[in-house]
Amino acid sequence: MAPTKSINGQDLREMFAAATSWLEKSSADIDALNVFPVPDGDTGTNMLLTMRSTVEESQMADDHSASRVAKAMAKGALVGARGNSGVILSQIFSGLSQALDGKDAVTGKELADALAKASSVAYAGLSNPVEGTILTVIREAAEAAQAHAATVSDDVVSVIEATANAAKESVAKTPTLLPVLMEAGVVDAGGQGLYTILEGVLHYLKGEMEQLKLRRPWMVASSVPLTAKSPQMVGVEEVPYGYCTNFVIKGEELDPDKLRKRLEKRGQSVIVVGDNSAVRVHIHTLDPGDIMSYVVPLGTLHQINIRNMDEQYHDFIEMQKERMPAVAVAIVAVVVGEGLANVFTSLGATFVVPGGQTMNPSTKDLLQAVEAVTSEKVIILPNNKNIVLTASQVQSLTEKTIEVVPTTTIPQGVAALLAFDYEADMETNAQNMNKARAAVKSIEVTRAVRSTRLGGLDIKKHQAIGFLNGDLVAVGDSPAAVVQDVLGRVKLDTAEVITIYYGDDTTSAEAEEVGGTLGKQHPQIQVEVVQGGQPYYNYIVSVE
Amino acid sequence: MTVKIVTDSLGDIPSGVAEELGITVIPINVIFGTINYRDGVDLTTDQFYDKLEASKIFPTTIVPPLGRFADTYDKVAEETDQIAVITNSHKLSASYETAVLAKERMKRRCRVEVIDSLSAILAQGLIVIAAAKAARDGTGLDKVLELVSENIPRADVRMAFDTLEYLRRGGRIGKAQAFLGTMLKVSPILGIKDGEAFPFVREHSRARAIDHLYEFATGFSHVEEMGVEHATTPDEAEALIRRLKAKFPKTRIYLSRVSPVIGAHVGPRVLGVAVLGDRG
Repeated sequence: MAPTKSINGQDLREMFAAATSWLEKSSADIDALNVFPVPDGDTGTNMLLTMRSTVEESQMADDHSASRVAKAMAKGALVGARGNSGVILSQIFSGLSQALDGKDAVTGKELADALAKASSVAYAGLSNPVEGTILTVIREAAEAAQAHAATVSDDVVSVIEATANAAKESVAKTPTLLPVLMEAGVVDAGGQGLYTILEGVLHYLKGEMEQLKLRRPWMVASSVPLTAKSPQMVGVEEVPYGYCTNFVIKGEELDPDKLRKRLEKRGQSVIVVGDNSAVRVHIHTLDPGDIMSYVVPLGTLHQINIRNMDEQYHDFIEMQKERMPAVAVAIVAVVVGEGLANVFTSLGATFVVPGGQTMNPSTKDLLQAVEAVTSEKVIILPNNKNIVLTASQVQSLTEKTIEVVPTTTIPQGVAALLAFDYEADMETNAQNMNKARAAVKSIEVTRAVRSTRLGGLDIKKHQAIGFLNGDLVAVGDSPAAVVQDVLGRVKLDTAEVITIYYGDDTTSAEAEEVGGTLGKQHPQIQVEVVQGGQPYYNYIVSVE
Repeated sequence: MTVKIVTDSLGDIPSGVAEELGITVIPINVIFGTINYRDGVDLTTDQFYDKLEASKIFPTTIVPPLGRFADTYDKVAEETDQIAVITNSHKLSASYETAVLAKERMKRRCRVEVIDSLSAILAQGLIVIAAAKAARDGTGLDKVLELVSENIPRADVRMAFDTLEYLRRGGRIGKAQAFLGTMLKVSPILGIKDGEAFPFVREHSRARAIDHLYEFATGFSHVEEMGVEHATTPDEAEALIRRLKAKFPKTRIYLSRVSPVIGAHVGPRVLGVAVLGDRG
């Protein structure tokens, strides 16, 4: 492909027009992603309408210079901006226009610098910039653009390609930065929208007209697993919902910064952008009348749009239900220790109830978990012999159908969870999980709380003791030595996988050493060392 | 005149079989950075997988332009007046849309019918192979299309993965997203359901994952077509075929290789088994 050294205003018009058509194809999918700042499910639509206004206004520029066209686009974006993401998008265009001021044409490097400016203007427009949103995506994309222009190539197409690729990776990581996204198992909607726009621009610049016509934008998949959380839990952090209020004030000598500070006291998710003649406001408030009365004296009001967010939220919940994985069967597991809880949720446990040895959850605790999940069928993994009975009481207290797979150790629980088949029904799954539970051997090592004589062994207080499948079989001075001792009592020649979960008072170095020794002795076995973070037990080991 | 079968290279039909049955395969290309590698032309499959593991750039795949499809139809139409085009699932690539639109660009007069296999990899391949056999035996176009529709729900596949990272980066992860980010080393077993990747189970070791593939294939009471495919592990594929041969001594079991274009999305070390048949 011939290198593209620079682009002018006409290119800007056309590439963003192409990007707008591209965005249109996935605006409904983007709507379905929206959970932040409130799950109102219209981010895609809002960004699309903002882009349309931007592109329409670009035709009004009086020449084809990059400078004039960018200025017209910034104006179009400002007056057409809708919703949080739309307003931030308008800030991005404002930044681009500031950076391109006075330029006829733009090189790849200048475009990269303009993106950096766009990023800083976008951050500046918000009273409380949040990472894991469109902001992170524009910042990381701009950084990649500048790095690419400085070290690889100044070619416009290759700079945009680097920008779009970085945006895509950035979108995939948004759930790791914003817990509400992680909970909902989605990427940030505004970020996805921005990536789609960049991708559309890239297709246009590469001359891929057929791709633009025939294909649909790919929705970026989250880099974290989609856990089937109850949709009601999504976005509960911001309460109350109230009214999403949007308008433009036109007047003389307006002060956006001052206005933002004033409005922050009257609502949430405040965005105020613009200049001294026109200011766009987005605010979530319980009393839109109060906001209106406050701003009326400042100038004339335009494009007033007030929506009830509770209604938006309910529409959103319905939309979410359709795209959530159909988990007919939920799994509630009793687990203690952060690492172990992560292992269980990453393997698909729907709800983790904290508990285990010396902290048994009550029937009520388990019942609450069962009621909290959306599925009508629930499998409970007690993971401790003292909790199995409690778990079996839950059925008499709920209308949901309950199966208890009587796992008595963490290794049994993990093996049972791994055997879960997403397509099989509850009965088949319960059977398979029971079979898997029985096939695993569990080793637990802890310290004796008092001196005693048990299972023919003399034990002193604080000595390490090892259990195999719940029976005390070994005693020693160090937990590591006791693990080795118990492993020596298990037939390992048919074992395939050994997983070592080390507790919160065991160092990773010690655990890695135990694992390393084992790996050397039995090279055919896959040995994994995982930070379980469980209290009391220095080691929990599973032999499969 | 006999019906001719056209498909895209996303069905991983083993080399030799396409030729034997007169199937025309339209190659789908892989792009690494800005360089376009024609499937099997510019890069051998081994070179591709070496590059896939070593490269930081994620390869993308592209469907050939409309013109390429139209030219292929015209060329095939020199020998027949009825063509069945069986494509990759529309949820996984733009092959179907392109194949449909290409009909209008044809120069020759010939009846062309495009059907979406709602499938991919060797499951798509087996649907195509069965259609080609029927066409070879003189079945008319309408009957061939009917057969394909009947066979779509009868073709199934399971693949053992080492990682789902490639699938995620390529945007084709679908509901298998539920299997991402596990804290343990597991082998996810995926299939295709409703035209996209679907997570079935996870096995805790490679050996068990392969056992799972074996049990999946032997769960069929009647097998019409069967094939095993691998990306970089021919020994595993051959061992699995030997085990399956013992159970299905009369069945020809195809050995196929995951093409780079699919490999870019599933990653190296993928092993799969596809069956066209009925479960008991």
